[in-house]
Amino acid sequence: MQKHGDKLTRQTLTVGWNKWLSRRLPASKQVTLSHKSIFILPSGFGLAWLVLVVLLFLLGTNYQNNLIMALSLLLLSVFNTCIIYSYKNLSGLTLTSKQQTGYFAGSPIYYPIQLSSKQQAVEIQCQFKGQPLHTLKTVTAQASQLLVTVNNPHRGVNRPGRLKIESRYPLGLCRAWSQVDLDLSQLVFAKPINDPNPIRFISKPGDDPQTSGKYVTGVDEFKGLKEYQTGEPLKQIAWKQWAQGRGMLTKEFEQPQGSPMWLTLDENSHDIELALSHLAWQTEQLTAHNQVFGLTLSGHSIPPNHGQKHRMQVQTQLALFPRKTLLKAHQ
Amino acid sequence: MSGEQQNISRHTLMWLLITNIAILSPLYQQITLWTLAICAICIFWRIGIYLGKVAKPPKWLVTALAIASAATLAMIAKQIGILNAMVNLLILGYALKYIEMRNRRDVQAVVLVGYFLIAFTFIHHQSLLSTLHLLIVTIINSCVLISLFHDKANFINTAKLGSKILLQSLPLALILFLVLPRLAPLWMVPPQNKAQTGLSDSVRFGDINELTRSSALAFRATFSGAAPTNEQLYWRAIVMEDYDGKSWQQNPRISSQQAIEPQTANMTPAATVNHLPALNSRTLRQFDYSIIAEPSYQRWLFGLDVANTQERDIRLLADFSLLADRPIEQKRLYQVSSLEHIMEPKISREVASTNLALPQTSNPKTRALAQRFALEYAEPKARLNAMMAYFTEQPYYYTLRPPKVGEQQIDDFLITNKAGFCVHYASAFAFMARVTGIPARLVTGYQGGELNSTAGYYSIYQYMAHAWVEVWLADEGWVRFDPTAMIAPERVEQGFDAFFDPQTSYLIDNPFSSLALRDNPFLNNVRMRLASVDYFWSTWVLGFNEQKQQRVLKEILGNVTQTKVIIFIIISLTVIGLAIAYSAGIIQFSRSTDKHLNAYYTVCNMLAKRGLARAHHEGPQAYNLRVSQSFPSIDADFTKLTQYFIALKYQNMDAKRVKRFSRLLIKQSRWLKIKILKQRLALNNATT
Repeated sequence: MQKHGDKLTRQTLTVGWNKWLSRRLPASKQVTLSHKSIFILPSGFGLAWLVLVVLLFLLGTNYQNNLIMALSLLLLSVFNTCIIYSYKNLSGLTLTSKQQTGYFAGSPIYYPIQLSSKQQAVEIQCQFKGQPLHTLKTVTAQASQLLVTVNNPHRGVNRPGRLKIESRYPLGLCRAWSQVDLDLSQLVFAKPINDPNPIRFISKPGDDPQTSGKYVTGVDEFKGLKEYQTGEPLKQIAWKQWAQGRGMLTKEFEQPQGSPMWLTLDENSHDIELALSHLAWQTEQLTAHNQVFGLTLSGHSIPPNHGQKHRMQVQTQLALFPRKTLLKAHQ
Repeated sequence: MSGEQQNISRHTLMWLLITNIAILSPLYQQITLWTLAICAICIFWRIGIYLGKVAKPPKWLVTALAIASAATLAMIAKQIGILNAMVNLLILGYALKYIEMRNRRDVQAVVLVGYFLIAFTFIHHQSLLSTLHLLIVTIINSCVLISLFHDKANFINTAKLGSKILLQSLPLALILFLVLPRLAPLWMVPPQNKAQTGLSDSVRFGDINELTRSSALAFRATFSGAAPTNEQLYWRAIVMEDYDGKSWQQNPRISSQQAIEPQTANMTPAATVNHLPALNSRTLRQFDYSIIAEPSYQRWLFGLDVANTQERDIRLLADFSLLADRPIEQKRLYQVSSLEHIMEPKISREVASTNLALPQTSNPKTRALAQRFALEYAEPKARLNAMMAYFTEQPYYYTLRPPKVGEQQIDDFLITNKAGFCVHYASAFAFMARVTGIPARLVTGYQGGELNSTAGYYSIYQYMAHAWVEVWLADEGWVRFDPTAMIAPERVEQGFDAFFDPQTSYLIDNPFSSLALRDNPFLNNVRMRLASVDYFWSTWVLGFNEQKQQRVLKEILGNVTQTKVIIFIIISLTVIGLAIAYSAGIIQFSRSTDKHLNAYYTVCNMLAKRGLARAHHEGPQAYNLRVSQSFPSIDADFTKLTQYFIALKYQNMDAKRVKRFSRLLIKQSRWLKIKILKQRLALNNATT
């Protein structure tokens, strides 16, 4: 009971803190740190330092030695000075987020952050909560870019939350930090996993999944121009270009082989995530082979097409498919 | 923290090397030989690592070394004293950690221990020069921490920042030092096993002689009012009542009093003196003075005549000598006031018999001489004066190199050799007085003092050590008799230097002592000036105690109250904080240089608070349009403001027009601000 209560109060505290933080430091693509956003507390070493100050004061008192007492007070005063210096190190630091997309789940993703500071800042550490720490030795007025890592992101929209910026300069006594919300988010595609089963698709029976939807030379769609070779039909010669004096060229046409494929998700599958990963893998495969395919996903469908743009559309759709665990949590 | 797992850079290693040597070198007196050996090995090993010649030592080796040295230290702890053992242990830990260091945390630990060692150095080195030296060592130690962050920064940068931080911290430290309450020692610290210097608690012929060869400072005294003349400066230290034919010693009555714990001691100074009746026939003379005693590692302190002190940890013993509760291990400042009181107008039979006791059948010739005085002079005072006169009538000679004496030492001196120094004369006089039935005792202490006229204090050196006699006379108490004054009056009237050649006495063993400069007027002046700087340092820094603190605070604050002190601290903290922030470049006193921009932006900011923020890319005109739509009530005013602003910002105008528009803009801005504020207030009232 007690434990449960503790947990509850901690939870309310965290919620309250986050609320307060979001009011004090609202999300923005660019943030310059100032007195509003910098927090300073003694570091572990700083606490050890204060213990040393007390010990020295006791030593000085016991030996009635004014110089030892003075040394202890000097070290205390140094602590005070360091608070100001550690504030100075972070204040005026400007962080700008740069957008970048297209990562697959499983491998780490990176958020490019640009840092600059009017006055030189020394040893700035950046980190998302629970993620690897990055250290910039110096930050100057000239912007330097840092790729802040998020390991093991899940499929879907990744929101790394607030970026923690920390500095212990100059003596390591104080931990000056800020938690800025750079309004960061990135789409993480489902991790492609090789599907050992044949591709699930809807098309006319008899079509070969290996070649169906693949573009072959045909008549439907204009593909481009190529050098004329003797024996090619005259109606395909690009006369306009010939008239411009660019030589004898033939227009090339292509058409998909067979009927286009439709990728579908078996929603009754016990592992939806795996199924989605398989679809992602198939999307990659089909795009690599330049095949035409469409996607139907819980009633929503993307008409058959091919190429990089199409691939992005399909992968985005797969990435945004609601996660079952999340659904459960909501219920 | 993952940041602390980083390796230590070469830059930091170099700073550590410098720090190590800087911290350990002033501790040379405390370091035992084998500690020094281990330190040397560690430093050379580290240099080897730094140069890339040697690998780091394996962990087991460091652990084994640490255990072995700790065990050895524990064994010799008794011998070198607990404090020294502690210092050596810290030094060893410091040196061993130094080669074993792997990450940031290790470096930080080493630095913290470094500060501790600096503090320990202060126990033995407290001069102004040592303090400045140790301040630099403190800066170097702090630079190690900075170098952790300054990987690629050069040496000078780190040193500069370190000095800057430390020096900027000095003012606040000083104020805290002024304000923070002085506490009494919280617990007894282990005494240091150091050789005692100065007077000892037993005197043999020849003991004082050794002291006259020392040019070391014993103590310094400043009189707050008129100072006594040189011949009155008899600084009493130890009273000896037991004579066994060889040496004078303290009576167990007194020495047992010393052993009493301070809490249980029933002899409080004030109580003792209050019991003393004043000498009615004479006007009382009182001398108030402060004394800075140099470390002697003994408990004796010094005072004139009947000295009284209010210090908590100094007691007045039954024989009117001052005794500290703890050995004087560092410079000690105490206040004394001396009164010309009668010392014990009545003494118990026990005390009388103690001060009359003589070893059986010793010194028959002296006894015979004394009996003759007793026969001739019945009145004790006349008898004593006759004895004193005897020393001038006979060819007695005052020398620091007296001939040897045999078993009957007083006979040998008084009858045969007729040459000796203060101890000889005092012993003989006390002996004769006791033979004739007058209680007498030997007092050792110092006589005279060198006046530093610039700073107005007396320096008393070890060579001024002296011995004289106190004789008890009915109604007069203990009265001082100094037979040496009869043989060498200059020694007492003008001081030791008037009688003896320094070169053959206290400069014999210390030819380079600064006292050797006395012959040269210019150099002597320099010596005196340096000495007065040291004196002020000793009084105001080393001897800064509760009373001094009260005095200084009264100077600054007038009536000292707790609230005033707190306000004083807060104000100084703010002022110092602002000054540091300014020097660090956080605060700039020059406001935004463009007052036109300011005037425009303040109005924009106020509107932003009302929910209509100007976007970064938005021009003034576009913003004006939006304002007109959202706040029609201020439309006209804001349009005017925008026009003035645009005109000033983007149009080329002559100086006169700029001035006019500038005035208009600022006026308009002020007007608008008031208007917006009024509207907001009205809005607030409406909602509540």
